[in-house]
Amino acid sequence: MNTPAIKLRGLGPSAQRAADYIDRRASGATAPTGFQGAAPLGLGATATDWLTLLKPRVLTLVVFTGAIGLILAPVHMNPVITLAAILCITVAAGAAGAINMWYDRDIDAIMRRTATRPIPAGRISAPGALAFGVILAILSVLVMAIATNYTAATLLAISIGFYVFIYTMWLKRSTPQNIVIGGAAGAFPPVIGWAAATGSVSALPILLFAIIFFWTPPHFWALSLYASGDYERAGVPMLPVVKGQRHTRVAIMVYTLIMVPVTLAPFVLGLTGRFYGVSALLLGSLFTAYSWRVLHDAQDATGASLTKNAPAKACFKYSILYLFLLFGACAVDRLV
Amino acid sequence: MPDKMPTVEIVESNWTAEERAEFSRRRRGRNYLLLAALGGFCLIIYAIALVKLHENGQMW
Repeated sequence: MNTPAIKLRGLGPSAQRAADYIDRRASGATAPTGFQGAAPLGLGATATDWLTLLKPRVLTLVVFTGAIGLILAPVHMNPVITLAAILCITVAAGAAGAINMWYDRDIDAIMRRTATRPIPAGRISAPGALAFGVILAILSVLVMAIATNYTAATLLAISIGFYVFIYTMWLKRSTPQNIVIGGAAGAFPPVIGWAAATGSVSALPILLFAIIFFWTPPHFWALSLYASGDYERAGVPMLPVVKGQRHTRVAIMVYTLIMVPVTLAPFVLGLTGRFYGVSALLLGSLFTAYSWRVLHDAQDATGASLTKNAPAKACFKYSILYLFLLFGACAVDRLV
Repeated sequence: MPDKMPTVEIVESNWTAEERAEFSRRRRGRNYLLLAALGGFCLIIYAIALVKLHENGQMW
């Protein structure tokens, strides 16, 4: 497709410089700085492309766990403030996702799973995506501070910073333990929700944080078992790439066995009722069974699956359902 | 202030009619999204302000 030259009439030189930059990108010329592998900007982004930058699939889990933190808090909140707090958590997570997509645009272009994302596909410019993420991040923290309290706003800012600086920019490309430590970023929402309601943090939200923290490694490693080719091509040191598939299967089992007792802790410590305790035990037993199947999947000498990683795919899908059901049980236990 | 609003247009284009229509459709979609986002932001700030004023006894 031929691309147009863009001429702006009646606007200042900075606007024309921006247009010239878009023009250079569209004609296939290399960008002045940063990533140089994006496709031409072409017809521009759709509204859906901008929403895709927020990683909507991840957001569902963030909204849910954040809302659970608010529900569990022993304080009545005005519905408007509750809605605003959930919105802030959602937008902040989306903003962190957008900045992550901006930073990872080089490896996203290499991986099949992410090559069609708006930046590597050339539908959104990298500076535009960064500005979008930064503006949303700042607004979400400010509104959280106005609507609720400074504790929640500070935790929200820390969670964004942790995801962007600690996980995305540092750990992800430097260690196979990236998911283990980086998982803390995704564990913040219930703590932030609780803090938004109460202005402080206590034992139950810390345990919810720990549950998501220990849930993240088996969840992501199950995915990485059947997406390790992508990660290898992109040079991301995921566990299966660095240590091999057999080691990863053992690690999934070990973290599942650590996670299940942690999920039982709220019941054991008397912070939740029997319904949650029984649910956590049943759901955890099932998770252990899925991990066991991953560990004992038919493998060749290197640990590579001979069943097209069917157990790992099943384990990954179940892990998502597991977290929804576990946190749902916690909320039901509190409300009923 | 200029007496006329500046115009922004794409010239020297060899886009087909379909590509022009698609470009306009995408731009319209982005504008509607921006409108919704800004409207929603104003609404949430307004609602928060009302709740805070009410909580502090500064309203009826």
